[in-house]
Amino acid sequence: MKRKFDHSAPANSESLATGPRYWRSLDDLASNPAVQAQLEREFPEGADNLNGVDRRKFFKLMAASFALGGVGLAAGCRRPEAHILAYGKSVENIIPGLPLYYASAFPIRRNAIPVLAETHQGRPTKLEGNPTFTPYGGATNALVQASVLDLYDVDRATTHTIKGSAATAAQVNDVLALLGADAKASKGEGLVFLSETSGSPTRARLVTKLKATLPKAVWAEYEPVADEAPVAAAEAAFGRADLKPVYRFAKAKRILSLDADFFAAEAGALAYARDFAKGRKALTKDAELNRLYAIESTFTLTGSMADHRLRLASSHLLSFAAALAGRVTGLDVFSSLAQGLDFKDKDKWLAAAAADLLAHKGESVVIAGAHLPAEVHAIVYALNVALGAIGHTVDFVAVPAISASGITEVAKLLASGAVKTLVLLGGNPAYNAPADLGFAAAIAKAGQVIRLGYHVDETAAASPAGVFLAAAHYLESWGDARTADGTIVPIQPMILPLFAGVTELEVLARILGEDKPDGYSLVYETITSLPGVAGEKGFRQFLHDGLLADSAYPKVSANFSARGVSKLLAAVAAPAVVSEESLEVRFVFDSKVDDGRFANNGWLQECPEPITKIAWDNSILVSPRLAKKLGIEPGGSMIQVARKENASYSQGKDKAFIGELVVGGRKVRGPIHIQPGLSNWTVAVTLGYGRKVVGRVGHGVGFDGYALRGTDGLNIATGAKLTIVPGEFSLLANTQEHWSMEGRDIVREANLEEFRANPGFVTEMGMEAHAPATYGDMNPEEFAKLSREERAKITAERAGNTPRGGSLMETPDFSGPKAFLDGVHQWGMSIDLNTCIGCSACVIACQAENNIPIVGKDQVLRGREMHWIRLDRYYSDGKIEAGAFGGEGNAELPEDPQVSLQPVACMHCELAPCETVCPVNATVHDQEGINTMAYNRCIGTRYCANNCPYKVRRFNFFDYNQRQLDSLYMGPLGKQGMPELVKMVKNPDVTVRMRGVMEKCTYCVQRIQQAKIKQKVAAGASANVEIPDGSFKVACQQVCPVEAIEFGNVKDVNSRVSQAKAREQDYQLLGYLNIRPRTTFLGKLRNPNPEMPDYASQPLSRQEYEKKNHPAGMEHGGHEASHSEHGQSHAPADEAHGESKPHATLGKLFFGGNS
Amino acid sequence: MSNLFPKSANKLPLQILIFIGLTTGIVLAGVTYYATPKYTRVGYAPTQPVPFSHALHAGQLGMDCRYCHSNVEKSGHSNVPTAQTCMNCHNQIKTDSPLLAPVRESYASGNPVPWLRLHQAPDYVYFNHSVHVARGVSCVSCHGQINEMDVVHHAKPLSMGWCLECHRDPAKFVRDPKLVTNLDWKHPGGDAGQLEQGKKFVHDWNIQPPQSCSGCHR
Repeated sequence: MKRKFDHSAPANSESLATGPRYWRSLDDLASNPAVQAQLEREFPEGADNLNGVDRRKFFKLMAASFALGGVGLAAGCRRPEAHILAYGKSVENIIPGLPLYYASAFPIRRNAIPVLAETHQGRPTKLEGNPTFTPYGGATNALVQASVLDLYDVDRATTHTIKGSAATAAQVNDVLALLGADAKASKGEGLVFLSETSGSPTRARLVTKLKATLPKAVWAEYEPVADEAPVAAAEAAFGRADLKPVYRFAKAKRILSLDADFFAAEAGALAYARDFAKGRKALTKDAELNRLYAIESTFTLTGSMADHRLRLASSHLLSFAAALAGRVTGLDVFSSLAQGLDFKDKDKWLAAAAADLLAHKGESVVIAGAHLPAEVHAIVYALNVALGAIGHTVDFVAVPAISASGITEVAKLLASGAVKTLVLLGGNPAYNAPADLGFAAAIAKAGQVIRLGYHVDETAAASPAGVFLAAAHYLESWGDARTADGTIVPIQPMILPLFAGVTELEVLARILGEDKPDGYSLVYETITSLPGVAGEKGFRQFLHDGLLADSAYPKVSANFSARGVSKLLAAVAAPAVVSEESLEVRFVFDSKVDDGRFANNGWLQECPEPITKIAWDNSILVSPRLAKKLGIEPGGSMIQVARKENASYSQGKDKAFIGELVVGGRKVRGPIHIQPGLSNWTVAVTLGYGRKVVGRVGHGVGFDGYALRGTDGLNIATGAKLTIVPGEFSLLANTQEHWSMEGRDIVREANLEEFRANPGFVTEMGMEAHAPATYGDMNPEEFAKLSREERAKITAERAGNTPRGGSLMETPDFSGPKAFLDGVHQWGMSIDLNTCIGCSACVIACQAENNIPIVGKDQVLRGREMHWIRLDRYYSDGKIEAGAFGGEGNAELPEDPQVSLQPVACMHCELAPCETVCPVNATVHDQEGINTMAYNRCIGTRYCANNCPYKVRRFNFFDYNQRQLDSLYMGPLGKQGMPELVKMVKNPDVTVRMRGVMEKCTYCVQRIQQAKIKQKVAAGASANVEIPDGSFKVACQQVCPVEAIEFGNVKDVNSRVSQAKAREQDYQLLGYLNIRPRTTFLGKLRNPNPEMPDYASQPLSRQEYEKKNHPAGMEHGGHEASHSEHGQSHAPADEAHGESKPHATLGKLFFGGNS
Repeated sequence: MSNLFPKSANKLPLQILIFIGLTTGIVLAGVTYYATPKYTRVGYAPTQPVPFSHALHAGQLGMDCRYCHSNVEKSGHSNVPTAQTCMNCHNQIKTDSPLLAPVRESYASGNPVPWLRLHQAPDYVYFNHSVHVARGVSCVSCHGQINEMDVVHHAKPLSMGWCLECHRDPAKFVRDPKLVTNLDWKHPGGDAGQLEQGKKFVHDWNIQPPQSCSGCHR
């Protein structure tokens, strides 16, 4: 590993890179010597070291282990006796060995995501989306996928306690009954409830009852982050506080988003992402694509998909909305609000965007982020009215009225000493309440505190003398919830509470003194009392379907009131000045730990954040310009993370400066990460980290952004100052620095116009476009000219064949009887880069399905993360005027990069390079085209990983499945033992891998085999063994909200995957290697507006590609012309290539550099 | 010349002999230990908590295998019957036999009878009963003549090489799926008849037993 390989990297003067140059990090872009050095190494520095254990000691340990093993051998290793423990009494529906699926729902805030829980003999292991709920179509997100791990969290609260000592369920019930009786006597005087928001109809029923029986009690709700539009906006615009907008992106041709991350952070985001993708899929070359304008201060996934992205401080979005409304409506009333707005080409930008929206009246929509003030939402409603969007692309639905106090009132009551009993139902206010309320200290002022919590956390620690009730996980409880569109869904227990936890409903019912305070009875009563539910039978149907049909919130026709809006807007103050001295702070919703509730979930902690690609940490995100002002971006050297010298680059990782951020007298310290694409003077702080009282996984992860947040600026704060703490650094586990593909034609992009003119644009990029055909007798360009049917047919034939093509490399002929390509099916995958939004749900779904362990921050820092799918995020800014071709090079940090996302997992190459180097045949092909891993054969040479061009193989450096939660397993003499509880989450259909074994994506071979077996069992004594298309889905395909992944039998011309692969924009990643990956990608399209000032005639990455490959005055038009020439003069000779310098080099590389 | 080899070299031939002897011994011991039927547990016949006789139930009484192993056609795992299944009959017959006490106890309490497992594939092998039974592989092919065993013993090695014998040439073994639980059935045409019919079945039913790793290892 310490060897340095000289791949004879091209000198700057004759770069051989053929693809667009994506810079994976700013370091990469800057050709930082430290990065260069790192790229030359196979693995990051320190990858072969171990904290605390040096090589010598490690070998000693290993030797001792082997000696022990020898002793064991001599003592005899006959197989141990095992038992079969059949049930005493047969259990209905349970067939040992087969999973059962139950409908349930994952509740979060006021919403829920319907799921089907897979249980193995009563043990839930995996959650799938419930396809019966059509708006989500069976998709889920990373949080849902990871929530099953929370059920088996070793650090969850396991006992009820009273004054710190364990209490039985009976004792707790007595306390609650007594509390209820006392409260009834005093009509609830001095009783305060503080809870999370919830959409549960049962809870709403109990709260109504509570308010009736205990009129003097206070019911308050608090959520630290907002995912729904503020009520005040609807009240002003429509005169009704119970209205909520539901967007219909599938119908929208033009979308303008004001700081709204509707792929992740808004309620109902799954449906939004799914609908957006429907308008984005280019199934034919005449497809209409929607167009997305995003105006945002931070860099979100939504922004990364935008065709036009404008960076603007969040506190200026009101002015922007007003300016846009002025343009769209032509009314003067908005002009005063639009003061203080300033950005490049402002008038042109606004005019063009407004014109585009107006040109698509009834098919355009504007959405504002839930965190923005009500005034912005009110203007957005006005805009949507003006655009004719209401009733078309946005519906207003009536939601049940909510009357609850806020946390500020509770804090006031606590301070006044008027609270006799404080009942905290869930949540973690001591951690996430606004810092100026001093909530942790205020809790102690209550006479008695009763807290229901899933973990012993900050809030539990704040009331040590109170009553603590261990909460049940949602997979252990009865309940109900509503999806974002209002459909009522059940929450069913998959397993009895592991630790006798109770639910919020049960606690409320006991306080109310209900006759039947158990969850089932409560939910049964609520649901059966609804109209249209026919008693027991109706309830069972509800549980079976996992939803109550037609129970969505009713659509209402809202009457827009201009007067109401102007009244609301009358009070608007001028926007705060945002500058270098007075920064804006955006408190950002975390896509992984949410508001901190998932802080102890290892899967989520280890999942790299989609944009920054940082795992196990949050950071203070600053713009490149601010970084420069702070002096953490030295001239000449581009930097990824703040640091002054290359010398402070450690282990090839982000060595981040520590910054001190001060807002309104509150301050926090955290690592600084430079994020291109951030608004210049906006600083983003991710919430949910820095937990003080938390389990072993979340301990010491990140810094606490809540400490900075006051009631005056819950989402956006201004007037902040950021200073560098001299001499302090922190390492950030950034996964994007490893496995660099070194800027070739990785993601192939085009604008919609080019795609229409030339749907097969992808085939004209990359080295394979200039080389003889490697696969079959046609080169990609010729292949692309065939009709789709012909292409699908040829692809299917090739899958069962081994065409050599014109490759100079001899490939062995495997065809013939019993050959490896002889299977009934041939599996393949297609990934549509045009709709992939990079949400990372596939990463976690894969982890849950395939028993992938977490490794911890230290191991991620060494590049040892185990995820089988990695989501690459590339930046491109189009300004890479390579010095090699006479350009000026990169002098500045790009501020407005475009993002290209690409999920990469094992490609299952037909001529897999990994297989040829395995000395023990541990990785071989099966008959159906799967590159299999026989874990038992693997001896851990890692040759396969070295030879994999995609770098998708993962090695178990340690026995990650033997580790304790907070330390590594060092062998038989080290600390060992994964807690039994955590083992329960493992999928019994997949082998749990041990130390020294290589692993990688298997195409979910267990699902394939189960489907095949099912088909063969059904076939019996007949030949019908081919699985019908679509009868099963692999885990990543199943979870994907945008249906970007298709998987199936490529031998079947009519399968969905074959149809996807037959699309013109299908290309192989690194296709020129002639390794024939079975996973192929569909090129990415962008749909920019030519009228916009930031219009780019080609995607920025494509511009870079063209500049690299067709330099010196060859503009983009010229490129196409030159290409058609190539197409004709391709096969015979390379004279055409000889004319231009880069092609000559290409030819040399391909033919001469092969030996 | 005498200085060329030290005096200790005189012992070298003996040392080499001892070394060769030891190495051969270890190799031989290893082979006999690991590569014999004993290692693959052929003949393993543990004493079960209840002396259940397959010879009596499946042989003499002629009960179908699937009465007790009821999920063999649905699941990968062929289930051992619950105590309730036993009690279906034994609440009428031999209701107070002391030998059946563990079953009655299990039925009453719900605690399982601790049956000892005979046939055990390693954890990394995902054997599936349902597909074998459905495609005409008889119980007898892997488990032996169970209907004649008073005490069940491990009849076949169940090693990977042994599995592959059939996966490479299933014609010798496949039969009409209706006959899979008829353990005494043999093709009336003898081996030649079986082979001929097997070949027909393999062709007609498109039987392609997996021979690659992914068939059994996941």
